This record gives sequence, C-alpha cells and structure tokens, in this order.
Amino acid sequence: MFGKSICFGNPSGISKPIALVFLILAGLAALTGAASAGTAAGSLIAAGENVYVSSASYDPAVFFTGDTGTVTYSVTNGNANQSITVNHASFGDSNIRRTSTTYDATASIGPLQTRDYTFSVIADATDGIYYPKFSLSYFGTQSVWHQAKIQVDNTPLVLLVADKPDSFTLGTKDTISVQIANPRKNDVKNVILKVSGNGLEPMPGTTFIGKLASGDHTTVNFTVTPGSESVMNLELDYNNGDNLHTVTTTLPVVFSTDKKQAEPVISNIAVTSSGGVYHVTGDVTNAGLLTANAVTVTSLSPAVPEDPYRSYIIGALKQDDFGSFEVTFTADDAESVPLQLSYKDKDGNVITSQQKVSLSGGTTTVKGPAAGPDMVPIAALVVILLGAGGAYYYLSRKKQR
Amino acid sequence: MDRSLVTLLTKPDGFFLNLNTEPESLGVPALFVLTSGLVGAISAYLIAGLTGKMMSAIMPGMESITGIIAVVSAIIGSFIFWGIVAGVFYVISSSFKGTGTFNRCLEVVGYGFLPQVIGALVAAVYTIMTVPSISVPSLSRSVMNDPQALNAAITAFMHDPAIRMVTQISAVVSIVFILWSAYIWVYGIKEARGLSLRDAQLCVGIPVLLYIIYLVYSVTLA
Repeated sequence: MFGKSICFGNPSGISKPIALVFLILAGLAALTGAASAGTAAGSLIAAGENVYVSSASYDPAVFFTGDTGTVTYSVTNGNANQSITVNHASFGDSNIRRTSTTYDATASIGPLQTRDYTFSVIADATDGIYYPKFSLSYFGTQSVWHQAKIQVDNTPLVLLVADKPDSFTLGTKDTISVQIANPRKNDVKNVILKVSGNGLEPMPGTTFIGKLASGDHTTVNFTVTPGSESVMNLELDYNNGDNLHTVTTTLPVVFSTDKKQAEPVISNIAVTSSGGVYHVTGDVTNAGLLTANAVTVTSLSPAVPEDPYRSYIIGALKQDDFGSFEVTFTADDAESVPLQLSYKDKDGNVITSQQKVSLSGGTTTVKGPAAGPDMVPIAALVVILLGAGGAYYYLSRKKQR
Repeated sequence: MDRSLVTLLTKPDGFFLNLNTEPESLGVPALFVLTSGLVGAISAYLIAGLTGKMMSAIMPGMESITGIIAVVSAIIGSFIFWGIVAGVFYVISSSFKGTGTFNRCLEVVGYGFLPQVIGALVAAVYTIMTVPSISVPSLSRSVMNDPQALNAAITAFMHDPAIRMVTQISAVVSIVFILWSAYIWVYGIKEARGLSLRDAQLCVGIPVLLYIIYLVYSVTLA
C-alpha cells in the first residue's frame, strides 16, 4: 500500500498525511546531515597539519641573471588514512619570477602520497641569494608556505691557454693546450670548445667535452697550422640548465723565429758548367738545435732540373751535422737560379727556404776542367818515368857488358 | 835479334828470337812490372782519394789512409798479377808439352808488361785531368749510421757520370793494352816454352779473352 503511494509517475496521487510525514523526515535528515558534516570538517583540519613540502629542486641549481629554468616542489600528505584536496599552488617573487601559470585545478593527494608542483621561472635578480615563496592552498582556508634558497651567480667558466709554442712559423703545425675550469657551484653540461681564425687550420676545430662538474677542470689539446698571421678565436659554449652561455678568448698568431728549430744553412757552393748543364755542389750544415729530417736540395725556375741530380736528398741532419749535395740543371741565359732547401721537423711539417746561386762569378767558384789538374800526380808520374828510364838504361848497359 | 823496346812493342817475334840462348834475367821485366805498378798507383791514389773525401767528415785523415792503401795495393798487385799471368801461361803451355823454365816464362811475361806501362800512363793522364771535376758528396754522421742511406750515397757516387766515364775509359784502355801485351806474350811464350805459334796463341789467347770478358762484364753491370 505504502509503496503504491509513492509514485513518481503520478505525484498528485500522494495523500496529504503521507506528504507531511515525508517533510518531517526530510527535515530530520537535513539536521542529521549538517551535524555529521561538521564532524568531518573537524577531522580534515587536523589532517591538514600533516601536509608538508618534502623537497624542492631547481634546474639549473644556480642561475645566471636572465636564465630560465624550473622549480619543482614536492608536497607530501603525511596522513595515513586521509586524503587532502588541493585547489591552488603558486610560486615566485620579483627576483625569481614565475613565467608559467599557477595550479588552480582541484586535485587530491592520497594518504602518504606525494605530488610534484613544477613552475617555469626566470631569474631577474643580480648576483645573490634569494628566497622566493611557494604556497599551497587546500580546503579553501588551509595553506602551506615554503621558502627555499635560490642562488644567482654570474661567474662564467674559465678558459685558459695553458701551453703554446714559443713562436709560430708559417705552415708549421703546433700544439696548443687549453685548460677549462668550472668555478661555479653547479655542474654545467654540453661544454664545447671551438677554435677558429682566418688562415688558421685548427685540428680539431671543435671539441666536445660534455659535462663539467663544479670545481672540476679539464685540458684540451689541439693543433694549429697557420697559413698567415692571424688571431685565433677560442669559443667555449656550455649549457647552464637549458641556457646557452659562451666564454671567448683570443690568442694572437704572430710569426717569429723558433729559437730551437733546425736551421740548415747552405755553404761552400761551387758551380760547374759542362755541356750546358750546371752542376752545383755545396754543403748543408744544421746550425739549429733540433734535427732536420729529410733534408732535400733542388733547383727552382728558371732552372730546369736535369739528371742525374734533379734533387738531392741528404737525409737527417742532427745539430751541428752537415752533408754535401749536388744538383744538376739547365738554365738558359739565367744570371742566377734559386736553390730550394727543404726539411721536415719532428711533426712532419715541411719547412722550405731558398738561396740564390749566381751562375756567373760572384761568390761562387767554378770548378772543372778550367780548374786544372793537381800537379802532384803529374810530378810523381814524371819522376816514375825518369826513374824507370834510368833504371832501364842502367840494366841494359849492365847486360851488354 | 834486336833487343830494343821498339822492336819489343812492334815486332816481338824479332825481339824474342833466340832468347833461350841467353841467360835468364828478370831485372828488366821486373822494372816494367814495377813501373806499370807505380804509374797505375797514381790513378788508384786519385780515385781512392775521392772515396776518402766522402768519409772525411766522419774520419778526418781518411783520404791519406785510402791513398796509401791504394798505392801499396797497386804496386803489389802488379807483381801478383805478373806471377799469376806467368803461372797460367806456364800451366796451359805445359798441356801443349811446352819446355823451358818458369823463370823464362816469368821473364817473357814481364817483357809483355811494357804496353801495360803505356796503358797505365794513358789512364793516369786521363784520371789526373778528370778527377778535379768530380764532385764528391761528404757523408754525414747520420748517413754513416744508416746502412740504407750509406748504400744509396755510394751507389749515387758510383753512378756519377764523371766516375762512370773514368771507369769506362780505364776499361777500354786496359782492353787495348792487354791485347797489345797478349801480342807480345804470344811470341814470348812461343820462344820461352818452345811451342808452335798456334799453341802459343791458344795458350795466351784463352786466358786473355776470359780476362777481357770479365772486364766488360764488370764495367757494364757495375
């Protein structure tokens, strides 16, 4: 009967007494619900005291002024059997300015659970230590506040030329040593050294170093073959977080004489002409302090090298050592011809020098048939023949007697 | 019977005619051998001086040492060559039933050295004229310590056009004058060992031909 009176399909059919009872019951139910709701609110306020910031991290760990990065706060619900509902999270101040939006969507954190809140920030401050605020609101009036230290430090990486040759020489490959140090309080990554310069041939031109820890340093060696005097640019790129930074330095490449280098010197030059072919002989002495390898002498235009000595390889000449050479060439109507002296240093660099040789008098001497034979053998020959003749005469006379 | 030097050089048959009727005498032949050795020593001294000059940078005074060795070798070598030639002729002529003593054989071979004196004279004059124009590379210490570099340097020196010319001219002169000596030796051996002209020609011709082949081989393949 009662069931039949509740009819959602025909409400007008409900009798008045039943409706009255319904209202009374509804009023009691409302009073009961309000009371129970007040009890639950009291227990949640108690739960809010166990919500705390369990960690805060920054990337990069230390900012340059103007660097962008991220700040991540981890919020932990320390209640064992009670969730909390978060409805707002924010971070930042005028020094460490937030560039991303706040967290405004309602979300719950379960019992003993942790949730991360990440904000994009930009460091507008100069060097110093700052304490921007992180705030978390839940249940409308409950909040968590937290301040953590963030440092802004504009100290760059250090780029030093640790070793370089005493002097640069045209076309000579030299090794340069560069030290890279990280004096910052945080690690940097993607460290790349780039070497460049007009007329320079660096090898390698780019060196990837990778991560460089705080307080650490590394050494990079590379070679440079200068084709002309120039300025060597050393550029060090690195990332602080995701921010690219660059340190540059320069190294002047000015040619000068290597005080230790090998120094082959041509001397004792003699020129002989025979049948239109010039024979030039001489000595090469190493007046330097290092060994000259593969010392070679040849003639250059207007001379046309001819066999048998188109070029003459003396070989290695140590300090104070010397070797003789001979080159043959033709040179129509030339007053002088250049002789090219080349050698290799310990790295295989070919160093050349030229010296002109006069073909018509001057400092050269002319040897050959015009120089005339040595008179001593001729005198010996005459003495022998006279002695032999005398002995023969004596023996013949003796035999006849 | 004409014992003049001109006859010896041009008509050795007349020079050696009735040689066996005279007592053996090695004085004049030895004089010829000594003279050829002394004249040849001049060429040897000059060529050896070039070799010494190559090594003078490492061993100062090397020129004098090589020169002395060359002179002594040339003189002693002449006498050794004299003995060897006489010995060879003596042995071969024995197969032709030759008679006569070894000293007589030595004597006629010694007389045959007179063209060698002239040949040595020609070679010496040519060498004296040529050597001043030959450039000699001085070997450095580092080259001396490197066998390959040393070998290359000596090979290059021996292939110097002037050196090759001296070697070739000397070989040609040797061949010409050894043939002249052979001409004398044929008649000398014929008389000294009592052989027929044909046997004497074989006795002398075969070793001389082998010697010439050796000379040509040495010059062309050097």
